[in-house]
Amino acid sequence: MSPDYTGLFQALRPETSLLFGALVALGLDLSLFRRHTSGERLNLALWIGALAVLAAGAHVWFGPHGPIFGGVLILDPLAVATRLGVLALTLLTLGVATAARTPRNPAEYVAIILFATTGFMLMAAAQQLLLAFLALELASLSLYVLAGFDKTRPESAEAALKYFLFGGMAAAFLLFGFSLIYGLTGSIELLEIARQLTLQGLSPLLVVALVMVLVAFGFKAAAAPFHLWAPDVYEGAPTPSAAFIASASKLAGFTLFARLLWPGLRAAAGNVSTLHGAPGWLPAVAVISAVSLLLGNFAALAQTNVRRLLAYSAIAHAGALLLGVIAAGRSGPAPFFFYAATYGLATVGAFGVLAVVERTGSCQKITDLAGLHRRSPLLAGCLAIFMLSLAGIPPLAGFFGKFTVFAAALQLGGLAGPAGWLAFLAIALSALALYYYLIVLKQALVAPPTANASRIVVPTLARFTLMAAAGLIVLFGVAPSLLLDLF
Amino acid sequence: MAQILFYLFAAFTIASAAGVVANKNAVNAAMCLLLSLVGVAGLFVQLDAYLLAFLLLLVYAGAVVALFLFIVMLLDTKSRASASFKKLPMFASLVAFGLLLAGLGTFVTRGQLESRPLHAVPALGANLKLYAYQLFTTYLLPVQVIGFLLLIAMLGVIVLSKKYDGPEDA
Repeated sequence: MSPDYTGLFQALRPETSLLFGALVALGLDLSLFRRHTSGERLNLALWIGALAVLAAGAHVWFGPHGPIFGGVLILDPLAVATRLGVLALTLLTLGVATAARTPRNPAEYVAIILFATTGFMLMAAAQQLLLAFLALELASLSLYVLAGFDKTRPESAEAALKYFLFGGMAAAFLLFGFSLIYGLTGSIELLEIARQLTLQGLSPLLVVALVMVLVAFGFKAAAAPFHLWAPDVYEGAPTPSAAFIASASKLAGFTLFARLLWPGLRAAAGNVSTLHGAPGWLPAVAVISAVSLLLGNFAALAQTNVRRLLAYSAIAHAGALLLGVIAAGRSGPAPFFFYAATYGLATVGAFGVLAVVERTGSCQKITDLAGLHRRSPLLAGCLAIFMLSLAGIPPLAGFFGKFTVFAAALQLGGLAGPAGWLAFLAIALSALALYYYLIVLKQALVAPPTANASRIVVPTLARFTLMAAAGLIVLFGVAPSLLLDLF
Repeated sequence: MAQILFYLFAAFTIASAAGVVANKNAVNAAMCLLLSLVGVAGLFVQLDAYLLAFLLLLVYAGAVVALFLFIVMLLDTKSRASASFKKLPMFASLVAFGLLLAGLGTFVTRGQLESRPLHAVPALGANLKLYAYQLFTTYLLPVQVIGFLLLIAMLGVIVLSKKYDGPEDA
């Protein structure tokens, strides 16, 4: 069998344009623009990056579909939707970067964002363990660097180091799990693994492999008890990096693991519809989901730092997303994709608001947002949309995301089994979550500004980015079928 | 004969791995790591995976451990007294060790590892020519991805480790 290189190249045109964009940004910065100010260099790199992302989006939209290169990649609706979602979130991240403080190496910053996006794109479509692992590492390695990019603040270095150490450990677990799966099935292709596992059933060795894979999954998703890196990274990383880590990386990670777990390890799924269902990875994921929901929501209540609050709310959202992954076996990937995509939009937007506020001084504490409605009505309005969407208030997209995921989970045997209880727990905790989102909004919308606070001038591109994110959230909340019809 | 060789190499590997942990001197520990890798390479040879054994020696023993030594000597850790373990981490690690041992024990005794004969996987990477052929056909995409992975690593190292003190960088 001669491999189909042309097909592979055509399927990888989005990745190629991203990498090309990264290399052009680096090359131009090194050759022609060395003497320019860092603001100009950042603008140039951001425009090149945005063009590359748009080109990649066009290639994804008009590109080939179906299995590529003998099934190494699969461009099914989930892959295409995730790729488009990741690209949109990357574009918004680049928009956030226009508002944030200019990093010291602007071209490198944008190039590494594009490299990470390439990793996410491959993660969205990978159907082979080797490629899945490498794509994950391509993305993770870029994210570690992005977290530590701000060399003027020691918190940034701390965030990068913590993220790197935890991530390295998780990668080791994942690789060990993969190697056991390979040993059991003799293949690294997901479809062949699925075929072998249906013949073999659940064996002790497979259980060990599943535990390893789930640890890595928990890390990537920032699910408790593997969440320890998240608050520090969200707090310490430069704002655009934190937005990127919280949004695009989540979406791509969930797609990768949902694909790995459902089509790949379906034979070892087990059952969570009843209390005494078959063992497998579903019960384990259900436990991780419950712990994340509880810990994320309760810890978020105690935060005084906006970013740490967003981090703990991210852990809670990871719990709800895991519920979506559990339900994906029956309801398909649409619910958790919708949740992850709209969650990503709201998070990028929230970090974008923080980035603009940071232009006038530090914005770490919730009280730093006091009087935002006077200082900039636009920022306050956008922040309200993002926070209320995260809390799940209709008619915003966050509500519909929660609704589809919980409905899908309740279809797995109703309130009689653990899946239903978990959905019930998630619904109850959503009410709790509303409280801490409202604390932030109270500062932004009600509290008076401090004496020395000035008006905030929102740069044009940042204004456009925030309004685009808020507009998309309202749009997907009013017309969710726009996203759901992709499946 | 094969059995004896297996136990010989296995014992050698474990003993030198223990040496890595027990050695206070970082250079000696790195040397023990090298010996441990040689032991693993011996095990690979017994499995007819000559190429893997060769690559292990070349890449890990040759390059990675050499880098370790390089960094250890650059940092000169000998001058600092190594901190002894505190009580709580010691206790935690003992509990973890016990749990791991118990898990491994049940796994070996009750895991029924023998019951399911694994079908032989075709050893496509057994000789250098086949290995290279595989790399540039079936695994073309992973090789490319690794290329960019290295580029990111390089970029990251340069950006994160470069010192800024001149005003022209600000």
